[in-house]
Amino acid sequence: MTSGTTFRHALRECLAITCLASILICTTLGPCSAYDLKNRVKEFKLKNGLKVLIVERHASPTVSLYISHEAGAVDEEDGHTGTAHILEHMMFKGTETIGTKDFQKEKHILRKVHDIGNALDAELMKGESADVRKIENLRKQLETHQQEAGKLSIPSETDRLYTEKGGGDLNAFTGQDLTTYHVSLPSNRIELWARIESDRMANPVFREFYSERNVVMEERKQTVESNPGRKLMEQFLATAFMVHPYRRPVLGWAPDMRFLNIDYTKKFFRTYYAPNNTTIVIVGDVSPDKTMKTIKRYFGRIPSQKIPARRVTEEPPQNGERKVKLLSDASPRLIIGYHKPTLPSFDDCVFDVIDTILSGGRTSRLFKALVETGMAVGVNTANGFPGARYPNLFVVFAEPVSPHTCEELEEIIYKELDILKKESVKPEELEKAKNQLKADILRNIATNSGLAGMLSYFETVAGSWQYITKFSDFLEKVTPDDIMATAKKYFEPRNRTVAELVRKK
Amino acid sequence: MKRCIICAAVFIVLLSSCAWHGAPVIDPDDIVYAPLRFEPPKAQRVKLENGIILYILEDHEIPLINVSAVIRMGSFYDPPGKEGVAEITGTVMRTGGTESMTGNEIDEALDFIAGQISVSVEADSCTLSMSVLEKDIDKGLQIFSDILTNPVFSEDKVEIAKTLKTETLERISDNPQKVAFRQFRRLMYHDDPRGRLCSVESVARIEREYLVKFHKRFFRPRNVMIALSGDIKGADAVRKIKNSLEEWNIPGGPEKPPPPPAFAEASLNYFYKDTPQSVVIVGQPAPGKNNPYYYAFEVLDFITGSGGFRSRVFAEVRNRLGLAYSAGSFYSPRTEYGIFGAYAMAKDSSTVDALSAITKILDTIRDKGVESGEELAWAKESIINNFIFSFATPSLIVMGQMMLEFNGLPDDFLTNYKDNIEKVGLDDLKYVAPRYLSEESRVVLVLGNKEKFSKPLSSFGDFYMEKNGTENREN
Repeated sequence: MTSGTTFRHALRECLAITCLASILICTTLGPCSAYDLKNRVKEFKLKNGLKVLIVERHASPTVSLYISHEAGAVDEEDGHTGTAHILEHMMFKGTETIGTKDFQKEKHILRKVHDIGNALDAELMKGESADVRKIENLRKQLETHQQEAGKLSIPSETDRLYTEKGGGDLNAFTGQDLTTYHVSLPSNRIELWARIESDRMANPVFREFYSERNVVMEERKQTVESNPGRKLMEQFLATAFMVHPYRRPVLGWAPDMRFLNIDYTKKFFRTYYAPNNTTIVIVGDVSPDKTMKTIKRYFGRIPSQKIPARRVTEEPPQNGERKVKLLSDASPRLIIGYHKPTLPSFDDCVFDVIDTILSGGRTSRLFKALVETGMAVGVNTANGFPGARYPNLFVVFAEPVSPHTCEELEEIIYKELDILKKESVKPEELEKAKNQLKADILRNIATNSGLAGMLSYFETVAGSWQYITKFSDFLEKVTPDDIMATAKKYFEPRNRTVAELVRKK
Repeated sequence: MKRCIICAAVFIVLLSSCAWHGAPVIDPDDIVYAPLRFEPPKAQRVKLENGIILYILEDHEIPLINVSAVIRMGSFYDPPGKEGVAEITGTVMRTGGTESMTGNEIDEALDFIAGQISVSVEADSCTLSMSVLEKDIDKGLQIFSDILTNPVFSEDKVEIAKTLKTETLERISDNPQKVAFRQFRRLMYHDDPRGRLCSVESVARIEREYLVKFHKRFFRPRNVMIALSGDIKGADAVRKIKNSLEEWNIPGGPEKPPPPPAFAEASLNYFYKDTPQSVVIVGQPAPGKNNPYYYAFEVLDFITGSGGFRSRVFAEVRNRLGLAYSAGSFYSPRTEYGIFGAYAMAKDSSTVDALSAITKILDTIRDKGVESGEELAWAKESIINNFIFSFATPSLIVMGQMMLEFNGLPDDFLTNYKDNIEKVGLDDLKYVAPRYLSEESRVVLVLGNKEKFSKPLSSFGDFYMEKNGTENREN
């Protein structure tokens, strides 16, 4: 996330659960019978492979603009965790023509900054055998050159340009699966967006790399290390996945983050931010034809790239329960997860229904069993954690009310999951869940940014936004028997990982 | 010779267009935009015979209807020692059933139609909101009006609400930012009721009868305004609301808004919490929306820290010094008063540096105002251009118009907003800055572990030391 600029942001606990937004969308999917999505979405593709989706909507002269790249933390190599995320930050540092006083001069100094930075990192990586004097010397050099580079740059130009022209929601989020940049603008300013975005997709300049590395370390302190829930989540994922990259945090492991490398970041950018790996979604007060002319003019000349085959280690089946405990001075909390397939499988859709039956609303089963009895202060479930490009997890989160314990909650949760395996869900309860899934999607569609976010997410992760209609067909087909079969197949102790936050004595 | 120059020029152009893969290079500041014309639709205002004021706006894009009732009540009115009554009244109105349905029956009926009803309680207002599918509006309104007018606060749901609230309070200490902002509020408002926060002890003292009394004291037609937007004809909406609420007749006029607070004097406060990242907040009382200098202060706040990357606190603390991920300022104006604060979440060793940087920025603005016409123009243009998003959806428009009346602001407040921002000059900022950023009204809060700060806090003066920064107990 490249925000934190407002009070609201500062207070929001999930400031950089960089992929949670997508998961929420993913779990609240349903058919939008009363909204003719199929005929409202206009689809285009440029010669360089760039996909564009446009929905016209004229309630107010505003527009939401989303750009998603199929590039996330999952695409990083080991040792380079955090690269996708720092790249997202670097994309706000300007281009060869935005944010510079004299790029021809500036680029030479930046090259020096990077060389010195690389040399410094190489020395620091030697650990105890590092040459202390050399480090000191390189640090000084780095500072001098950074200052010199600073004199030639104009900081935060991208933000200034958008803000000045009325841009709102200017932000980006990096997830395991994808990276998305979005902004909302008064609808007469689309050319500004095209000018800035096409430029940074083609010619970004990675200014202030080393100070930004400190900022993301701070981001980690704020959103993970000061946040017991996120800390536990990290342990949970690293336990549930042994080899698949979903085991790694999006922000990166702290030791990797110290040495985030500018050359690797540039390579990652060139490979994955190519137009043929990108989807643009525009929802609002626009004319599709006119908008496409602007998009072709600005984005059409960015060359496509050869995207290498994605080599991701498959997670082997889990053959026994895994447990992890984290000591903390915070109140206890619990995460339970089960491995499962991802979309577009039918089972994934059944899990969306199970998700709703277990935690959708005040009459859901876990809410009634845990919150309405005063045993838990909150309980939630999520399907598709921590991403959806690869097989993932169905997860239950719960926080006990003192003096109840995580063990007590676990027992009740397992009992509820067992009931799903043994007793057929009543038709009314199934209908209620389906009604909720359908209404949730309508509420998502209601705002320009909600619809744009949903379309760009599915276009990127499921390969096509039309998965939304496919899901609707799936949903209609889900029966009580499917739910029972799915519960039996996956809610097995051997397929389970449990993480618990335990208060230090 | 001339030809050579032309050749060279062509060559350079070719070179640069090779390097630049995108479109022709046009300076983003030179892009010419078509003018934007937009007259936000005006909501229909209706006064029911029993005194309820209704604002309605049709919106047929999505088959959903949103209804919000705003009531003048809130934590300001909590009886001393029983802080939390207002909030728990709101919670149990929703969960504790009505004269015609139990809480569980309401939950079941709403979940089946995928309807949502929630209650939120602030210091001086309470909002009951509903979102339902268009086809379920009758059922939805029946439950909505029942909750508004006939809640019974069943004993078991009161107990659950108290248990959950207590646990939530206990868990605040897990989140340093929540602790800090909660304490900040307490410090700013000091002896004012707005500074009395609920605690584990005060919640324990709350009994069902207080909730019943509280509801009775505030819920009457003339103290309620309702905003409705969505997929329904205006006339139908009026008829349906009339049908469900017109028989509700309780005498009494609108509750007067509480008087503005007397703010605390300047203070320096340190709260201990062993956390890798400290929270620093520097707060000041600020003008309200009916103050002639409200617009100047909006601009001042934007320049100080709420205007994104270019605003001073963000640019300095995050970008130049790299001390924090979150840094900036906030300004929450009410009708007659406001609160301003600048903040940073910085790693423990940088705490004092972050505080120094923030106070230095505030002092500079206090002493010199804003000197650059360019910075002023940037802030004004940004605020004015972004203002359109206040009207981005029909529910925002209808709520916005209704809240003007609820808060006693003039009808044309929103219409004239842009002009009023446009009128702000450097002189106004120079006038407003020393009045509101004075050290005499500055409340400083630092939450963290001072053992790990690289510089002593004492360089700022004598701090009031609170050992237990995780306070959720009686204050």
